[in-house]
Amino acid sequence: MSAPTTETQAERKGFYGWLDRRYGITPLIEFLKHKEVPVGAHSVLWYYLGGLTLFFFTIQLATGVLLLAYYQAGENTSYESIRFLTTKVPFGWLVRSMHCWSAHLMILSLVTHMFSTMVLKAYRPPRELTWVTGFLLFALALGFGFSGYLLPWNELAFFATAVGTDSMKAVPVIGDWVMQVLRGGPDVSINTLYRFFALHVVVLPLFTVGIVAGHLIFIQRQGMAPPMAHDKPERGMKFFPDFALRDLLLWLICLIALASLAVFLPYGPGIPGVEWELGKKANPLAPAYPGIKPEWYFLWVYQLLKEFPPHLLGMEGPQAAIALVSVLFGIWALVPWLDRKARADRPSPGFTDLAMAALIFLAYLTLKAWDVGGGGVAQPDPHTVARVCAYWALLIAAATVAIRLLMHGAPYFDLTAAAVLQIALHGFVGLHYLTAGAISVALLAASLVWRLFRSRNAARAAPGGQP
Amino acid sequence: MADSGAKRNRRSILDLLLGAGLLGWAGSIIFPVIRYLKPLGAQAQNGPVKLGAEDLAKLEKEHAVIVRAGAARIIVLEDANQRLHALSAKCTHEGCTVQYVPGDSVIWCACHNGRFDLDGRVLAGPPPRPLEKYVCQREGGAVIVQLGRGPETA
Repeated sequence: MSAPTTETQAERKGFYGWLDRRYGITPLIEFLKHKEVPVGAHSVLWYYLGGLTLFFFTIQLATGVLLLAYYQAGENTSYESIRFLTTKVPFGWLVRSMHCWSAHLMILSLVTHMFSTMVLKAYRPPRELTWVTGFLLFALALGFGFSGYLLPWNELAFFATAVGTDSMKAVPVIGDWVMQVLRGGPDVSINTLYRFFALHVVVLPLFTVGIVAGHLIFIQRQGMAPPMAHDKPERGMKFFPDFALRDLLLWLICLIALASLAVFLPYGPGIPGVEWELGKKANPLAPAYPGIKPEWYFLWVYQLLKEFPPHLLGMEGPQAAIALVSVLFGIWALVPWLDRKARADRPSPGFTDLAMAALIFLAYLTLKAWDVGGGGVAQPDPHTVARVCAYWALLIAAATVAIRLLMHGAPYFDLTAAAVLQIALHGFVGLHYLTAGAISVALLAASLVWRLFRSRNAARAAPGGQP
Repeated sequence: MADSGAKRNRRSILDLLLGAGLLGWAGSIIFPVIRYLKPLGAQAQNGPVKLGAEDLAKLEKEHAVIVRAGAARIIVLEDANQRLHALSAKCTHEGCTVQYVPGDSVIWCACHNGRFDLDGRVLAGPPPRPLEKYVCQREGGAVIVQLGRGPETA
């Protein structure tokens, strides 16, 4: 771009001028030259996470295509082709290891991106649809993890898929149809693998690329969300080259970290839910083995399914558990419309608290699913596990509260308190997980009603306040 | 005025026809796709299932074996009193395959820690329903499981 800006399109020489005369790319270049990223007090770090997730997704596409060069879907070929790939093909183990590590890191980066968006209230108008498309991408990423899991056709995959697809029965009216369509029959069989293969390599990537495009267009049109009005940015940073070079540097560091992890820990760190040893080939006539667990990001659902009793409120336990998960996801997706304070660009500590309470809720269930404190035996004492996990979860809760107090002096902790109360009642007092949850939710509702009354009274008492 | 009203009328009828046409067009594409994706009904097996030599050897050695009967999986087990039991091997919670734990005389699902007695009744854990039970008997040296719901259902 050596041409001076005053030069007209017709005067431009060379390939740039040739392109510009045909497609008018100068306005685009001008737009990119002036693109800026807002620099807030403590928000710039979080702006890199979306790009990082996209970087891991491109690694997934590249390694996925390489895996396709050897993978053969079939009852007698799926497991065998992955075994051949990892044991015989030069660097085959590395490609598979990169694909698996990058999948986990992509989910980690995506979830962190989502939580940071929540805490910074970047979903507030006019960016509601950016949040919704991000939520859809999160759902698609879970779909990728779930469908990719089955493809090696090993024991772990078989049962994870049996449980995951079985839970579809909980959906009213169409549940059984959805389950059968996903499975390609009444039970998980090789027909399920064919369908999951199509989902994993064609359907989900197409949807993901489309929605990523939408997500990025929204961000380009509106710019990155500036910090809230009460935390005005002092300056902006030029996207090209300042921000883009930083992005690139982070990607380079992450690529090195990814390659190192893939080389030194080719089958994962050995934590249940973060490992991908091929193990035994799937055998529909073998029982599920002790200690079987899903991927780490599904562990909380797995644990919730264990916590629910056989029947609840006229529903079967699993049905009630899936209904609760659906309601929680629904609330999460609608946050931009629920958070009325952030809509008015006012501080909204209640929704920061919602994110922190969600984090504590998820952490406790995940720790329990890992049987932390169980002493490594196949069937640990549930009370000991509940208690030890409660200590850890409370430590996490204390850390979130301390950080929030230091950073904002946040005046709202009701939801965190409810999450902590449930954990304490279950872990230390020994109440059933759901009983503890019901007490916490009841107290939370009471505190919300009390706050509502107090704010109404304050409005009445204030001079000029509405009667 | 009347002319434009008649025009609007004609236009709205055309719009209606066009909308109905589009709906029919969409339906004629979506219905076959939905029908195509729904798998064909599995071959139901109602007759008796006879355990093969390999299954019998496994039953002898491990006191339990899981066999296939059409689309279903059935666990056949021998308790401490050498009595035979046959039950659905599919956990009623989330569909994992159960196993016999001879030491505790229970049927256990490793996925979410569901426990059943040898008649399929839920003892502990989240399974909402008992395991379906089948009639199972020895005939000479053979072991035969009778399929189909009967009075044996727990």
